[in-house]
Amino acid sequence: MKTGYHALVKRLLDGELTLAELPPELRAEGEEALRLVGAADRAPVALSPALDERVMATVRRHAGDAPANRVWRWLNTPRDVELRLRVRPWTVWAGGLAAAAALALLLGRAAPAPPLGPGTQARAGLRDSVLVRFVLYAPGARRVAVAGTFNQWDRSIAPLVPAGTSGVWTTTLALPVGQHQYAFVVDGARWIVDPAAPAVDDGFGRRNSVVAVSAPGGHTL
Amino acid sequence: MGALLGFEGEATDAEVVRAVLAGDVERYAVLVRRYRDRYARYASRMLGSRDVAEDAVQDALVRAFDRLADCREPDKFAGWLFLILRNRCYAERRQRQRQERPLDSTDELFAAPDRPDGEYEQVERAHALEQALQHLTPEQREVFVLKHTEGLAYEEIAGVTGATVASLKMRMHRAYDRLRELMKEHL
Repeated sequence: MKTGYHALVKRLLDGELTLAELPPELRAEGEEALRLVGAADRAPVALSPALDERVMATVRRHAGDAPANRVWRWLNTPRDVELRLRVRPWTVWAGGLAAAAALALLLGRAAPAPPLGPGTQARAGLRDSVLVRFVLYAPGARRVAVAGTFNQWDRSIAPLVPAGTSGVWTTTLALPVGQHQYAFVVDGARWIVDPAAPAVDDGFGRRNSVVAVSAPGGHTL
Repeated sequence: MGALLGFEGEATDAEVVRAVLAGDVERYAVLVRRYRDRYARYASRMLGSRDVAEDAVQDALVRAFDRLADCREPDKFAGWLFLILRNRCYAERRQRQRQERPLDSTDELFAAPDRPDGEYEQVERAHALEQALQHLTPEQREVFVLKHTEGLAYEEIAGVTGATVASLKMRMHRAYDRLRELMKEHL
């Protein structure tokens, strides 16, 4: 048996052709293909009658929660996080140099600190930052970015990268401790709230997603 | 949407959503009853297990309640809920793949009927197809389920998934070839 179906047989399965419209030499293959899709089980699937009450019991509990509890529950909900690391040899050297610079910085703190300039503030800021991973499932998108209060809503600064061909887009950003509003921008024009995050009204009839970044060892709500 | 089923069915989805957002939490039960079984078949076929599907539907209904204020178009609640359930199904599969925990057998989906002898072959084929579906990519499986189990047209599938019709057809055609290979003993 050949592995794949003839293109005309696939059009038959898609409902674009009838069996009678196939060339005679393809009719047997067409009948076989129709048996395949005809095996799809269209019977209804009945779930447990207790499901309704389980949902409503949870809903009643959540409805009684204070807003802070809802944010805390969102923060505590386990989420999928994929970390992929590709290392090129030069990055090992760059990493070594960065480690040396960090060590020098730590040792330098023993000396009297100079007045805080912009660069120093940036470093100080980094110590109060937390890595936050943004994930969006957008299989049809050509490009995705995240824009928010942390990057002045600039849609070009923080692009997400596709994770293989799965339709999942991700990026990781260092965000300062505190609460930030954001949204995803798909194909440069379509603004989408994060389906996995709470959202607030932006005052202009649209909604923004919210992420609360807490310092290690504490939480900011 | 908006099938009129008895007294509670007279309220549209949008009316129920607004009532719930206004504080009438108990009205949410109308939406639970309306959609729990409607999406059960999709979840079962995507996940290959009725039990796992039940958890997914339950979780999606709770998540939808938690984020009801984000439902921008309450009259399209059904489509919005579907997207939540769809994301939940994809997440479930990813999680199980990472943990190398295959989903349960599809046997339970076919546990029922006493069928006449003449239909035995069809039952076997249906069972084989359910198992073969679990060997497709999630995207291929989804387009097959939505078209051949749920009976949606490509344009409708594009509307709910956000993919283009051309890419959906490409997925589907690859799925046909793969299923033929997997099902060769049963055709």
